[in-house]
Amino acid sequence: MRKKLTQAPKLNLIPILDAIFIFIFFLLMSAQFIDIYEIGSDAPITSTSSEKMKKPPLNLTLVLSGDKITVKTGLDENVYKTYNFSQLDKLNEGLIELKKQNPTEESAILKPTHNFKYEKIVKIIDTTREISKPNVYITAIDHKNRKYPTKKLFEKIIFETQD
Amino acid sequence: MRRMFFNKKSKKKSEPMEIDITSLLDVLVILLVFLLKSYNASDLKLNLVKDLVVPTSDARKLGHHAVVVQVDSNKKLYVNSKQIGVIRGSGENADLLQRLKEIKEEDKLRSPASTAVRAINLVFDQGVPYKFMKGVMHTSAIAGYTEFKFIVQGNY
Repeated sequence: MRKKLTQAPKLNLIPILDAIFIFIFFLLMSAQFIDIYEIGSDAPITSTSSEKMKKPPLNLTLVLSGDKITVKTGLDENVYKTYNFSQLDKLNEGLIELKKQNPTEESAILKPTHNFKYEKIVKIIDTTREISKPNVYITAIDHKNRKYPTKKLFEKIIFETQD
Repeated sequence: MRRMFFNKKSKKKSEPMEIDITSLLDVLVILLVFLLKSYNASDLKLNLVKDLVVPTSDARKLGHHAVVVQVDSNKKLYVNSKQIGVIRGSGENADLLQRLKEIKEEDKLRSPASTAVRAINLVFDQGVPYKFMKGVMHTSAIAGYTEFKFIVQGNY
């Protein structure tokens, strides 16, 4: 007696192919081959507060001129440290120290000279907003006085013009 | 005799041709993975103008739809990809102010709730000096756009 050969059933791939084609068209239509992100900055607003401040504000100011970055703090703008543009990692470390001393502060004021290039400004903003070294975190305090680890330094960037 | 020959041939059943789609499926899967990797959920659609190199940044916040002002390396000024003039002097531009005010008014007419929209996407060439940035930001703020969103390119 001859044995009957059993044929494996063929998979019907047509519906899945249709679905993949539709999916590819959707992705192709919505694809943007350049990764675009945004850095937020608000126009400066003056406000008056009747409440007496418990602690004087940090008033962190970065004066950018030529190749120099001067970090100033306090209302009377005392020079904290001066860096070269090539020392952005050192600037980041200095800002980490300032953030540790002032965990509730979130703003930094940038004061570039008229000819300071945008590319350099973006690099300095990156250094000011976040810890650049991987696996390094600091403790921040939220509005409800709860501590949490973060990589964020001074997220709110405000531009001011040098006289 | 001849008739028999033809009859024999026509009786042969032609089996449907099978196409090997394995390689096509491979290509499709690779394309799908590539597109999924490069998929961006942002609602900001940006048509970059010529002669404009966006600086790279570590920022990872996705952009959102808003008015787009671009300044290229030749100091040409564009609003929503349409050239409106050239920046001179301190960077402030009357045409830019006029155009932004018009857009604000159009938005107000289209949907009154949009009056609260204050965000503006600023796309500057990486070589643009601060005085032009300042001029554009100042003009935008006068027109009612006080939330500046600097558009940058992600670096990996």
